[in-house]
Amino acid sequence: MTTLIQEVEPEPDSAIKRWLVSDRGATLSAAVLFLVMWQLLTLFAPRVPTPWAVVKIMWIEVTGGDYGSVRKGEFWNHYAATLQRYAYGLAIGFTAGVLVGALIGASNIARALISDTVLVLLALPAFVWAFLTTMWFGIGWQAPVLTVAFTAFPFVAVNVAQGVRAITPDLRHMSTAFGVTPVKRFRHLILAGITGYVFAGLRFAMIVSWNGVLLSEWFNGQVGVGFRTRYWFDANRYPGFLGWVISFIIFVVALDRLVLTKLQARAFRWRKTNDELDKDLLTTVG
Amino acid sequence: MAKVTVSKLAKLFPPPIKGGDVVRAITNIDFEVDGNVFVSIVGPSGCGKSTLLNILSGVDTPTSGSVTVTEAGKPAKLGYVFQDARLLPWRSVMDNMMYVRDDASDESVANAAKYLSMVGLDHTHEMFPGQLSGGMQQRVGIARAFSVEPDLLLMDEPFSHLDAMTARSLRDHLQELWSRTRKTVLFVTHDVMEAVQLSDRIIVLAPGGVIYDDISIDLPHPRKASDPKVATLQAEILGQFENMQIPAVE
Repeated sequence: MTTLIQEVEPEPDSAIKRWLVSDRGATLSAAVLFLVMWQLLTLFAPRVPTPWAVVKIMWIEVTGGDYGSVRKGEFWNHYAATLQRYAYGLAIGFTAGVLVGALIGASNIARALISDTVLVLLALPAFVWAFLTTMWFGIGWQAPVLTVAFTAFPFVAVNVAQGVRAITPDLRHMSTAFGVTPVKRFRHLILAGITGYVFAGLRFAMIVSWNGVLLSEWFNGQVGVGFRTRYWFDANRYPGFLGWVISFIIFVVALDRLVLTKLQARAFRWRKTNDELDKDLLTTVG
Repeated sequence: MAKVTVSKLAKLFPPPIKGGDVVRAITNIDFEVDGNVFVSIVGPSGCGKSTLLNILSGVDTPTSGSVTVTEAGKPAKLGYVFQDARLLPWRSVMDNMMYVRDDASDESVANAAKYLSMVGLDHTHEMFPGQLSGGMQQRVGIARAFSVEPDLLLMDEPFSHLDAMTARSLRDHLQELWSRTRKTVLFVTHDVMEAVQLSDRIIVLAPGGVIYDDISIDLPHPRKASDPKVATLQAEILGQFENMQIPAVE
């Protein structure tokens, strides 16, 4: 028996269908769906502000106006104060995390002594640090800065330790056998070897410690994003409260998508397969 | 032209289990290698072949005895090809080549490219090791070792992790490279056939790290595995090993 199989060329998907199943299309569709659901929810729950009410108050926060005695530029002042504390705290937590992580990764004694402590710190949520630092330092800049530092530190340390351990003795032996200079080793073996892990740790640290700084400002701030969010909450003005909550969600998502994910992908480029690299190339060319 | 002198060399390792015996990797061996020769060190697993290379390269230290590796009275420059390629996975092929070189001049880059070309890897300069097959990675390892223009090239079972076809192809690449450069080579292997095909001299180690035999091979290079003379010699040497009397270790 002979079976004839006619080759049929598959029809290409329509442009709309391709866009809808693309990453960008899916993200935008999800955002639109969320807004629709939110609008519908306001019909049944009068205490929930509408999206438009939130946009309106946030517009005034950004541009200034006569709503809740808002001064022009209030939004930027609060963000500037928060970002400054966030940056200082991250710098402290990141530096300490790299040093301690390198120590844990390089020394078995250090690992035995410190790694459990770092794991305990990793398990502590940001709000605990916000409480503790407020109790220790009272109202002021120290509590938010140190909340960020304490929250960021274990994420960086754990990842850096993992990166140092990934540099195998075989590679060290190879460097010794070829007489590679210590400077070159530090740059190409140690530093390059842990870069991807540093970015992975920094990414988690930045996301988690952002919550930390906001919580700390909520409890003890006199200026800042967390403080302003509480201000609207205390004033029983939910559009303002929700607007600020959404603003810091947007901030951290944008930070992750536009900066951290790209940096991490770049640092871990060597882990990609040929197919993934080809896809990257096509995306770049296209 | 490197000169290797190994004198009363011994290497002991601590017992692997508590209350066990000390492990004798190498026991008081003496030999010399002088000139542009290809010397294989052959022996069963655990007879101290790799330990010997690690001591020669400075990665490990001897328990007693001494080794000197000199070139015209000065410390010799070494190249090393390992069992696996040992490339930095986060650096491109060319960066890996440059990692072991003393300078980053245009001339140095051209030299590294020349050796990559010799092993048929012209197109891989910007690729990462993870994008290469095991055989290609090992070719980079060989090119890297030759490219530092070593006085002495140490090779530790470089083809043992590869399939037979790839290993055979790489042996041909190695013979071609060696014929062009005529470096002093110490090549560790447990494969007698490989040793006969490649070497001018075979030092046979027995368990316990003692020298069992020292054989000269007087056949022209390059040699094919299928060459009847090579095959006959391989059979003779393998026949000797069947009667191997392992010297008592004191």
